[in-house]
Amino acid sequence: VFPGVRQAQWLTKTKLVEGLPPAVQGIVDNPALGLQELEERAKHVVSHARLWDTAEVAPRREKYCPVLFENLIHICRLMSGKYPSLSKRMLARNCRIAATWERESILLQVRGLSGILMNSMTPIPPVASKEEILATKEHVLETFYPIAPTIDLQEVNVYRELNDTGQCFRDGYPYSHPHTLFFLESANVRTDRFRPEQLRAKMLMFAFGNALAKAKALHGNDPKVLEQPVVVQSIGTDGQLFQFMVFQLNTTDLVSNDGVKNLVWIDSDQNLYERAQCVPEVKKGVVMKPAGISGFQPDTFKKFLALYLHGTV
Amino acid sequence: MAALGAWRLLRPGRRWFSETVPGAPSPPGSPLYPPVVASVTAKSKAAKSRRLQRFNQRVHEAATVEEKLRLYGKLQRPKYTVYPQTFALNADRWYRSFTRTVLVPGMPPRGAAAKPPVAAAGATVEAGRAPEPGAEAPAAARAPGDAEAAGDAEAQAAAVAPGAAADAVPCVDIGELRSLTCDALLQESFYQNKKRPFLYRDQDHTPGPFLTQLVSTLAASLCGRNPLLAASSLDLSPEVNYYWHHGEEVVVHGHRKGRVDPVRFQIDDNPHLQIRVPKQLPEVVPLESDLGDVPVIDHKPSKLPLFKKQYENKVFIGSKVADPCCYGHTQFHLLPDKLKRERFIRDRLEDQIEVVYRSNGIASLFAWTAAQAMYQGFWNEADVTRPFVSQAVVTDGKYFAFFCYQLNTLALSAETIKNNHRKNICWGTDSKPLYDVVEDGNVKGFNDEVLLQLVHFLLNRPKEL
Repeated sequence: VFPGVRQAQWLTKTKLVEGLPPAVQGIVDNPALGLQELEERAKHVVSHARLWDTAEVAPRREKYCPVLFENLIHICRLMSGKYPSLSKRMLARNCRIAATWERESILLQVRGLSGILMNSMTPIPPVASKEEILATKEHVLETFYPIAPTIDLQEVNVYRELNDTGQCFRDGYPYSHPHTLFFLESANVRTDRFRPEQLRAKMLMFAFGNALAKAKALHGNDPKVLEQPVVVQSIGTDGQLFQFMVFQLNTTDLVSNDGVKNLVWIDSDQNLYERAQCVPEVKKGVVMKPAGISGFQPDTFKKFLALYLHGTV
Repeated sequence: MAALGAWRLLRPGRRWFSETVPGAPSPPGSPLYPPVVASVTAKSKAAKSRRLQRFNQRVHEAATVEEKLRLYGKLQRPKYTVYPQTFALNADRWYRSFTRTVLVPGMPPRGAAAKPPVAAAGATVEAGRAPEPGAEAPAAARAPGDAEAAGDAEAQAAAVAPGAAADAVPCVDIGELRSLTCDALLQESFYQNKKRPFLYRDQDHTPGPFLTQLVSTLAASLCGRNPLLAASSLDLSPEVNYYWHHGEEVVVHGHRKGRVDPVRFQIDDNPHLQIRVPKQLPEVVPLESDLGDVPVIDHKPSKLPLFKKQYENKVFIGSKVADPCCYGHTQFHLLPDKLKRERFIRDRLEDQIEVVYRSNGIASLFAWTAAQAMYQGFWNEADVTRPFVSQAVVTDGKYFAFFCYQLNTLALSAETIKNNHRKNICWGTDSKPLYDVVEDGNVKGFNDEVLLQLVHFLLNRPKEL
């Protein structure tokens, strides 16, 4: 019904900032990282995922979306030749997340398979300065009067309040800080996929859930403003369109509507390429669209890589 | 021929003066009659060979590799499906005879000797191995268990080299790699909370994800040392297919009964993981080396058991011809639940455990290297001019077996194999455990040799790099 992100903002007591945070933007613009040479490889990788990966004529989305993701992660991982601290990361697939919180006397819980999670041994440093965090006090959360903010949410009887990312991993796990969540919308049928707006809302809810669970594990269950904000990133894609998100949890005091709010930076609807033509489109003997990838946008790949490198560079 | 006819008419009764050059009437510029060749459509052996020649000509003249592959696999007939992962007894002997492969136990003596190999009398001095200084990374990273070639000059020279290599600074931090491996293992088996494994799908629950994590993290951490890995492409669950002819048989029943047909085989393989690279791995031994014998089996392939089916003849390395990463580096195979060790031990077939690993290694690597060769335009009428080398690791999660395959010949069909003296070579090890047991967040009994061999495989690269 509603643009999902606005509703998710209210539910997680978050202020939205358009575009990526300056720290990440700095990595994108940093020429010392040599992102130019990687453009060629990124283009090959996109062609591989969209055109060459199958013995049939064209791969389906269920195949090419995960393959594209794996290939992009492979390129990012190979950067650990340059930055050895990148090897302190571990991918975990099919991990289940559960987090509970109260919002103006409504008990909310987020649960489920949250896609692919990348963990790291060291946490990401906070992205927003102290002044920005304090400035969110003035920000007023958008309400949807007369519609209740919990519209379209499933109401269930919760018998156990599950709370930690420790539900996903046991204690003593060395890679204890959630770094980035990846969401792949790879269903073949368009109606089975989330629309971009809904995908962003899902990313926000799960990033919030992970950050909240980590904050409770680190600082205990009492609601308070966090001294060390917890930062979790999130990337969602359907094989062509990418959504980038950086979420910073500033407070676990979610019952009231005022006070310090959490912050989220969203860079939405970034196309990696315009179209991928498997067979050239020929009309009356004239080639209208040649085979191959057209309209490749290196910036989207640079942002992907920058989010991957964030925290170690 | 017109000239010959004229010569016969003129000769009796004519006297040629000795000084006059017997001027045969000069042959006309082009023959008067077209060449006499066998018919194309008749039901005769000559016609059949002419049709075969025309087909070979068509394939030779194909403009692109895709066209060649399309023509090569155009005719569909019932063919034997060869499964690399099979429970058939002694399958590796049969597969070696189908693919003309020699099995050499142990790993090839890798890396160059620090000193030039001492040429014993009649020893095959490997031309392809230029002596490298021992301080180079590949020699330094070479596993100590490598110099196992059976009684060669290289073995003696290579046995000298570990002394030199051990003196060189070890460029690979084995401790860090060990910790990465243990982290991956512990995450998949201990730390991450997973649901119970599905029935008979134990391999997808823990060993599969562990292998994926292990290879991706090791490849990432080693890519600084091996620039080939930095340009590589990692495929998860790719498809590898190859179709070939070997031997002849008589068609048993049907409307084609009584005709002599080639025996057709097809391998359709799904490795768990594979690494493809843009440059070819260097050859291990020269193209014409003879390191052993190929087993000869007198029975029909269906006795293995192998079954015939007719479907599309695919040749595929994992991605299409247009991909720049068209050479193979390493494949990783995961044995399914059906072929786990406990089953063989329970059925009192302990010797077949190694057969499973070997047949998987030989069949998969033959299919991959041969498909790579076909992507470069070679086929059984145009045999390879350089050897194609690839590696594979076959594992069931705990036990690892390593294989290295060199493809020297593609000419396996009945006509081309008559004059073909080349054989394909496969080096393979027995399966060894990587660790003993995982208990309480600790990996007990970690085996460094296996990890070193894996690292060595990943560091393999052409000499120029």
